[in-house]
Amino acid sequence: MFSYYFGLAVRSLKRNIVLTVLMIAAVGVGIGASMTTLTVFRAMDNDPIPQKSRQLFAVQIDNWGPENKSIAGGDKERLQEQISYIDAVGLMNAKSAHRQIAMYKTGAALTPVNAQLLPFQVQIRATYTDFFPMFQTPFLAGGPWSADDDKNHADVVVITQKLNDKVFGGGNSVGKSINLDNHDFRVVGVLRFWQPTPQFYDLNNDQFGEGAEIYMPFTRAIGGQMGSWGNNNCSGNVGEPGWEGRLHSECVWIQFWAELPTEAEVAAYRAFLNNYASDQQRSGRFHWPAHTKIRDVREWLAYRHVVSDEVRILVLVSFSFLLVCLLNAMGLMLAKIMGRAGDIGVRRALGASRSAIFGQCLIEAGVVGLAGGLLGLALTALGLMGLRSLLSEEASRLTHFSPADITIAIVLAVLATTLAGLYPTWRAAQVQPAWQLKAQ
Amino acid sequence: MLKMTHLSKAYRTEVVETYALRDFSIHVREGEFVAVTGPSGSGKTTFLTIAGLLEEFSGGEYQLDGANVRGLNDNQRSRLRNEKIGFIFQAFNLIADLNVQDNIDVPLRYRGFNAAERRRRIQEALGRVGLSARSRHYPAELSGGQQQRVAIARALAGSPRLLLADEPTGNLDTQMARGVLDLLEELHRDGATIVMVTHDPELAVRAQREVHIVDGQVVDLAAQPRLVATANANT
Amino acid sequence: MQFRPIISAMRRNKVGAILIAVQMAITLAILCNALFIIQQRLAMSKRPTGVDEANVVVLDNQWVGNPTDQGARQQADLAALRSLLGVQDAFATNSVPLTDGGSSTGINLHPDQKTPTASSALYFGDEHTIAAWGLKLIAGRNFNSDEVVDKIGYTDIKSPAAVIITKELADKLFPNASAVGQSIYDDSLKGQVPIVGVVDRLQVPWVSAGGFANSFIENSIILPFRFVSPYPILYVVHAQPGQAAAVIQAAPKKLFDISRARVIGKVRAMTTLRTEIYKDDKGLAVILAVVCAALLAVTSFGIVGLTSYWVAQRRRQIGIRRALGATRNAIIQYFQTENLLIAGAGAAIGVALAVSLNLWMVNSFAMQRLNTGYTLIGAVVVMLLGQAAVLWPALKAASISPALATRAA
Repeated sequence: MFSYYFGLAVRSLKRNIVLTVLMIAAVGVGIGASMTTLTVFRAMDNDPIPQKSRQLFAVQIDNWGPENKSIAGGDKERLQEQISYIDAVGLMNAKSAHRQIAMYKTGAALTPVNAQLLPFQVQIRATYTDFFPMFQTPFLAGGPWSADDDKNHADVVVITQKLNDKVFGGGNSVGKSINLDNHDFRVVGVLRFWQPTPQFYDLNNDQFGEGAEIYMPFTRAIGGQMGSWGNNNCSGNVGEPGWEGRLHSECVWIQFWAELPTEAEVAAYRAFLNNYASDQQRSGRFHWPAHTKIRDVREWLAYRHVVSDEVRILVLVSFSFLLVCLLNAMGLMLAKIMGRAGDIGVRRALGASRSAIFGQCLIEAGVVGLAGGLLGLALTALGLMGLRSLLSEEASRLTHFSPADITIAIVLAVLATTLAGLYPTWRAAQVQPAWQLKAQ
Repeated sequence: MLKMTHLSKAYRTEVVETYALRDFSIHVREGEFVAVTGPSGSGKTTFLTIAGLLEEFSGGEYQLDGANVRGLNDNQRSRLRNEKIGFIFQAFNLIADLNVQDNIDVPLRYRGFNAAERRRRIQEALGRVGLSARSRHYPAELSGGQQQRVAIARALAGSPRLLLADEPTGNLDTQMARGVLDLLEELHRDGATIVMVTHDPELAVRAQREVHIVDGQVVDLAAQPRLVATANANT
Repeated sequence: MQFRPIISAMRRNKVGAILIAVQMAITLAILCNALFIIQQRLAMSKRPTGVDEANVVVLDNQWVGNPTDQGARQQADLAALRSLLGVQDAFATNSVPLTDGGSSTGINLHPDQKTPTASSALYFGDEHTIAAWGLKLIAGRNFNSDEVVDKIGYTDIKSPAAVIITKELADKLFPNASAVGQSIYDDSLKGQVPIVGVVDRLQVPWVSAGGFANSFIENSIILPFRFVSPYPILYVVHAQPGQAAAVIQAAPKKLFDISRARVIGKVRAMTTLRTEIYKDDKGLAVILAVVCAALLAVTSFGIVGLTSYWVAQRRRQIGIRRALGATRNAIIQYFQTENLLIAGAGAAIGVALAVSLNLWMVNSFAMQRLNTGYTLIGAVVVMLLGQAAVLWPALKAASISPALATRAA
């Protein structure tokens, strides 16, 4: 019967082409608008590391105390988003997690070997060797530096494929050296393209950016007095003037992540952090009880409000728009079906059951939904193109259609239209078979 | 074939209850051609809608082809209607969007016949009404008489046990009406059971038997000689 | 025009009427909130910085290898820039308005303060700053050259000899007195710093809607520091009117002539910075405008569609009315009144919906309270839309011939 109903639906839609076009256009425009914003929303709301997002935890420690009121962003939990160097060293030395890393964003001027070329600026992430296995970065050549390199402040770097192409013209560059601010660094690994979006591990700097081009040992960057190029927040003890003073201050500028694969390890790490903060209180550094927090990747992204208000507003607006479009299509379907009440009455007299009429009309709504969905897909592509021309480069990175979005668009269109078609269809099924006789 | 005993049908509005049929009894045997007549508002159409399982009735019994139809649900009634009854309407009620063969196809689809069976039945029905050449025409391209013949073909295609005709010639001119009536008589000769509702006494006499309804009840025609006489006078 | 027959006719098409009313209500709710956001974003993107944007060029300079004589090199660079044809003045700083990057601090007046009196952005500058940015000094004086000292990176914590603040900050700190001659408390070095001058306006670097600097967008303070550091430093160059484009070309060339052991990042006019930083806000405004237009189109097509259907359904009835003496105008008025009733109901629901949507957004997002004017504008727009949309089907209805009444159905 499905193919019969499908044929009837197509025939009926062809019959009243203006009404049909209006319905499909309404559904299509609604789907186009809502899918355009949903695509951006989904890119922002993306889980950047789905296989491990429940095992990676951002660490927060209150090192400013309840008296302090100058926390940027006015966090209700009065926790800083980053930690101080003192705590970074404390937590790294404790080694209480399966893996843990401290890191910060810095940068340098890279002088190419070819003296004809001008030096250029590079973004650097100073971190520990465990960064790579923790975040499962793909290597094109070589690999992470060793734990000994971390210990020895070694002059080693991991570079991205893009930088490798730019500086060495591609190829396996492991063992070659690059010059950063007049110091030579040995390349130990080249990363294949890796750009988690959002850049969950450092949301203060470039949430949707391209990330660092060079990774180097945290110890080496600190030893070389390479200052933070990212967000710094200072309060309370801002330290003595100079680099050493900064390292001993309560300024927060370091991101700290722990890998905790099991529930037991998570609980143990929570306990450890609390003990650590209590120890700081006992030693007189903190004048307040322990206040610490760990959050996995999804919790961290939610806490940091990664999906911007603008996108939330747009999603809200566009889905309300979709609702209007569906109400519209519903009105038109109702008009169409009531205009056909005569035919429906005849069909009923000829033996069509209520469910047969119901099925026939619902399939017609589904066909409208399908056509609207296809139109909506085209409009979404157009809408995303429009967004790319309107928005900044960073925001434009969020305007790419994934295969999942195509499925969502079609399913949403068919489901929503069928849902909107339920009432008109119900009305159609209520048409009495005697209608024809009575109407005379 | 069709047997109603003490059947009643009430229409309820907020204030009053009016009976369209009251203590209504009729028996149509297999192979009969019965005309149901009566003045406007007498309950003819109500009788037809109930006989055709288009509406439920309030009281009494109705047996169709030996089966009691009282209390059947909508689906069961749709099924019975589809299998046992063929309708011929005054306004033809062809579906304008569908061509001739697709119109005839409608009840066959709901019957669940396969494609070959449906094709065979459509051809046969069209052959019987003499419109084989018009199978791809749309209703709007046919004359009124042709449209009614298509409607008859549609009613016949499912081999119903009972044909119900409601003023089948009401929308046709005399010549076309004659053709349609000839066709009905021919069907009757071939064994079809036909119940025809009409207000036209001239038509009624072509039937084997006439049942007259007044105020929702069957009236003995013998007691109403003048009506018949008038009808005869008009012939 | 009588309402009663229209209402009783509408009862028979209840669902259709409700559908249109609800559509209009949602349209209204979205429309006025969207218009409000558009207006806000556009107004935001026009806020002045206090800088002579048309003639100011910004470039970032980074030395290779953090040389020890950076201070002297920077002075040589700035002297060279000032000597360029078409350049009025130049200085080096840590941050510039419209760049979204910089430093902020809480300003205290006294040592024993628990909470700062105000928040403020920190700009480092010298005696050239006011001229190079084109700021308007409205009280006090500029820095003297002997007040300006080197600051070697952010970790070089030192107390400024004097500060210049913005008028907005001055009013906040000293609502009842002139700020010049007063002092602020430097928490890091435990000492008072005198305020020597007040500029009319200097916006903070962070301008995004709902950003953390929203509450102190006009609070800035200039410290007399020559900022030398391993970080990229911003050179601000004030070109003579009409010379900005030429300076963008000439400045990096001149600097590379002095030394190639440097990285010059982006060289941009302040006007470019403004376009870039507000790009997403303008984008949002355009997207909302497009959605609103589409929304109005869809709603009006919906009205046309359903009303046309009603007209078709009532053809015979209309023919009979015409036969009984109804004029064409009466028929048109009938449909217009019908739509007015529906749109009126829709607008009433819509205003309530708009206000609650706005309240919800105020709670959930960084949004302001909706101005009542917008709901009224929205209501009028939606009602006019309804009238316009119903016109075509109404005209069609009016053209139905009275002769229709004499023909069979």
